[in-house]
Amino acid sequence: MAYKDFRDFLHTLEKEGQLLTISDEVKPEPDIAAANRALHNLGDKTPALFFNNIYGYTDARIAMNVMGSWPNHALMMGMPKNTPLKEQFFEFARRYEQFPMPVKREETAPFHEVEITEDINLFDILPLFRLNQGDGGFYLDKAILVSRDLDDPDTYGKQNVGLYRMQVKGKNRLGIQPVPQHDIAIHIRQAEERGENLKVAIALGCEPVITTAASTPLLYDQSEYEMAGAIQGEPYCVVKAKDADLDLPWGAEVILEGEVLAGEREYEGPFGEFTGHYSGGRAMPVIQINRVYHRKQPIFEHLYIGMPWTETDYMIGVNTSVPLFQQLKDAFPNEIVAVNAMYTHGLVAIISTKTRYGGFAKAVGMRALTTPHGLGYCKLVIVVDEDVDPFNLPQVMWALSTKLHPKHDAVIVPGLSILPLDPGSDPAGMTHKMILDATTPIAPDIRGHYSQPLDSPLGVAEWEEKLSHMLR
Amino acid sequence: MHICPRCESNRSEVVTRSPVKGAWEVLLCPVCMFTWRTSEPDSITDPAKYKSAFKVNPEDIPNAAHVPPIPERVQDRS
Ligand SMILES: [Zn+2]
Repeated sequence: MAYKDFRDFLHTLEKEGQLLTISDEVKPEPDIAAANRALHNLGDKTPALFFNNIYGYTDARIAMNVMGSWPNHALMMGMPKNTPLKEQFFEFARRYEQFPMPVKREETAPFHEVEITEDINLFDILPLFRLNQGDGGFYLDKAILVSRDLDDPDTYGKQNVGLYRMQVKGKNRLGIQPVPQHDIAIHIRQAEERGENLKVAIALGCEPVITTAASTPLLYDQSEYEMAGAIQGEPYCVVKAKDADLDLPWGAEVILEGEVLAGEREYEGPFGEFTGHYSGGRAMPVIQINRVYHRKQPIFEHLYIGMPWTETDYMIGVNTSVPLFQQLKDAFPNEIVAVNAMYTHGLVAIISTKTRYGGFAKAVGMRALTTPHGLGYCKLVIVVDEDVDPFNLPQVMWALSTKLHPKHDAVIVPGLSILPLDPGSDPAGMTHKMILDATTPIAPDIRGHYSQPLDSPLGVAEWEEKLSHMLR
Repeated sequence: MHICPRCESNRSEVVTRSPVKGAWEVLLCPVCMFTWRTSEPDSITDPAKYKSAFKVNPEDIPNAAHVPPIPERVQDRS
């Protein structure tokens, strides 16, 4: 089930009681970020926030936390808002297998209503604001950025749609942080090796399905637009950019077109990141914006990010877990049961698997380290048996506390890659990684006293069914 | 000209004014790229109260690590 555009999704949230409008006047700082931080402290079923009365602005409208809870994530997939997380994971995995779904092309889009090509001033056009106190400035942190592979522009899947933090550093200038494990770093490198600027387009205020696909660790040659179609179950709607051969999401509120300036680096940051730490300041590439178009009275979408959990964790929890799940299943189709890589973007991954023989679970853990996402994340991999639900942390802790023998089951692999934002990496981008095998030893790995696992009284399943009906 | 609360250069300039007259201005420092709104708390706007851990020395800026490094031009790619 597809949402027509961003506003269509906000309307659904409102209908479902998952959108809270704040009509009292708020200050851009610190009120908007503070309200969102507070919201995240209130649990995992919170609504989106809509601010329409912001001090100093006349008609600014800001939507936040649009996908910042499990009910909102379920609604993104068109499922009932109270769908349990594990069910959302398996439904996402089922739709993931319908990839690719070819896109639907349109000639015009609602965002063509207003167009600006002269004297662009992003500080005038967008209601920008600071999130965390140590941030170096105002950021776009829920915008998707589109770019194309220069060596192979005709392979559709190599057009990249990704989410990157972008600091607004001038009236028509943005700073971008290209993490080397992400696709944008490849495109910037290709352009700079040629001494050319890289054409890019940025879309703000998108339907949640493209934001989800853009933040899924797809393979390099898999199209995010074709994945968005698979997830929503019908073709995703795109329209061409004006200054470059790039596809734009039809339902966006605001589009910025521009180019990454070849060979230029400028001070950027720090920014309060998903790791719960500031990133530090470094010299990063710069994007010059040449063209802006937007809907009348556009809604500016933004997200609060900081100490986990925040919106970003709901946004990329399930869709980070699923590619790891699929890639592990490619290697071990009969064993892998489920993967939970929801913690800090998958710096921790929990894998539930059957085991074929002694030592098998450790091999599963090592395979996780060599998946594309594992190369930049998966610092700690916990492997549990098939009957442990990796989304149920008390069960995972039970497995760790009873199945793991530190002498045999803790494996440390030295000197691997990690995204440089990991504050523990030293130097930035390098780390040891650990596999904790919390599965039951099986032959020929014969150790411990595991022949008498606890069973349940007879008839538990029937009582579960009966009681859950009585409790509705 | 305004003093940047972060690097204390005096080169900051107004990049926008509030649509409602007189509410605030947004300033940008071209040295350390710090951006702030005049209506923010003084722990952000006042150089004396800006958190010391986040202060930036203008002399360090040219030495900031390049992320990613600028690659060599490759001849047959142009
Ligand atoms: Zn400064």
